Amino acid sequence: MATVDHMGKTFEIDEDGFIDSFDSWCPEWVDYVKASEGIQELTEEHWKVIHVLQDYYQKHGIAPMVRILTKVTGYKLKYIYELFPSGPGKGACKMAGLPKPTGCV
Amino acid sequence: MGDKAANFNPDVFKKTAEEKSNARLKMWLEICAHCGLCADTCHFYLANERDPKMMPAYKAKKVLETINKKNKFDEDRLDDFYETIYGECTMCRRCTMFCPFGIDVASIISMARSLSASQGKVPKELLKAVEGHLESGNQMSITEEEWVDTLEWMEEELQEELPGATIPIDKKGADFLYVVNAREPKFYPMDISQAAMVFYLAGADWTMSRKGWDVTNLAMFMGDIAGATKIAKMVRDAAEELEVKRVVVTECGHALRSLQFESPIWLGRDHQFEVVHSVSLFAEYLREGRIKLDKSVFANERCTYQDPCNVSRNGGCAQDGREIVKYLCEDFVEMEPHGEYNYCCGGGGGFIPMAGAFKERRLKSGKVKAEQIKATGATICITPCHNCYDQLRDLSKEYELGIKVLSFKEMFEEALIIPEELKAKEDDEDEE
Repeated sequence: MATVDHMGKTFEIDEDGFIDSFDSWCPEWVDYVKASEGIQELTEEHWKVIHVLQDYYQKHGIAPMVRILTKVTGYKLKYIYELFPSGPGKGACKMAGLPKPTGCV
Repeated sequence: MGDKAANFNPDVFKKTAEEKSNARLKMWLEICAHCGLCADTCHFYLANERDPKMMPAYKAKKVLETINKKNKFDEDRLDDFYETIYGECTMCRRCTMFCPFGIDVASIISMARSLSASQGKVPKELLKAVEGHLESGNQMSITEEEWVDTLEWMEEELQEELPGATIPIDKKGADFLYVVNAREPKFYPMDISQAAMVFYLAGADWTMSRKGWDVTNLAMFMGDIAGATKIAKMVRDAAEELEVKRVVVTECGHALRSLQFESPIWLGRDHQFEVVHSVSLFAEYLREGRIKLDKSVFANERCTYQDPCNVSRNGGCAQDGREIVKYLCEDFVEMEPHGEYNYCCGGGGGFIPMAGAFKERRLKSGKVKAEQIKATGATICITPCHNCYDQLRDLSKEYELGIKVLSFKEMFEEALIIPEELKAKEDDEDEE
């Protein structure tokens, strides 16, 4: 596992660039990931998606499907892709500290 | 090194090897003359400084040595075997095209993976997806309620543009059943509405199914043939219950291989339906004038086409992809080589879902593809396969290709010519 330092925090990351454990997540992590995800400035909308992902993951142990994400946040599908250019499965899950989703993604 | 074998047992290994070593496999393994013609055909060999260990013939020889009863078989040998069969071959079958004896290394590796699986030694990310698939009916553990809800949602979204469009569910006797990859409802639902848009404009009689809708089959790549058989049966049962004439497979490569070519053998009989890949159906619609594209949309882009191994080489659809391109792109440049001789992207054979531990090798072996793309000067690389799609996006970052990777459906969404009478009326929107 590789280690990265950012804003005074140290993170262990896997080969896909996901944080090693959900418990190590902190807001500084989001700041670290945003550049590689093509996000210039974090907005309230980004945080809303991140928090919804985290709540769902804590309850169900997997990432929600994008339908649930749109329902809970009230955002349109296209808007979620605008917020997270690499998509809700890759970019948004990575920022929220979830593990890389399983399967063909 | 991968994870430890969950149930290491040399007796089971040898017994399974004996069962799986049919006459054809034995013949292949014995007639290989080690002529070396396969070396340059393999993207692993080319991308790894022509390491002789990456030659397809070397990998086949390793399988032969491992199953040879005279050789000692222990966990070290299994570990070494595992790295070769999962980490150094995508089962793309390019080497077979050049082998003077037509030795099918992909089938040899596939058999070898089933031996490794008999020891419980498989990539853990594949195992998770396969277990989820067997339990829930799809590789992303989506519930039936969530699946139907997503289809209804995509229908609503589509109707905002095309009020008459629908996504039929369980329509018995429809001309075809459309089956997808679970990643579509999970993270990329627009793939489904884009397909529905094409089918609507073509006037197709089609349906989706509540069950057996995930046509992917990662158990095939894992080497779990019993699991692969169960997974394929889910799709077959759905299609036969709905009495459809055809099953149309989404823009996915391995799903075509699994459903069309492998599963009739696993399941012991032919399907009662024809299996068609999306590219073949799209080409048919364009040829018959059932859908029309505005070529000017991508006129300022140079396009190239990535042949998914399981669509072009192993699925026989190389020409269908090219036929579509004629209606879609003004400036199209082929990769060299292309068609059934194109190189694997490096993401096949389960490499994308195998994730982490295999990522470095995947990006490295993709160097051959990156160079092919660079030489075309393309700004768009089209590919009708999800694994190629993800791999090409990763390669674009890794090798700074600066390309857009698109599926046909994504391009159709932009370029389809929609008859005025089918479009949503401005007034209707005001009334809402």
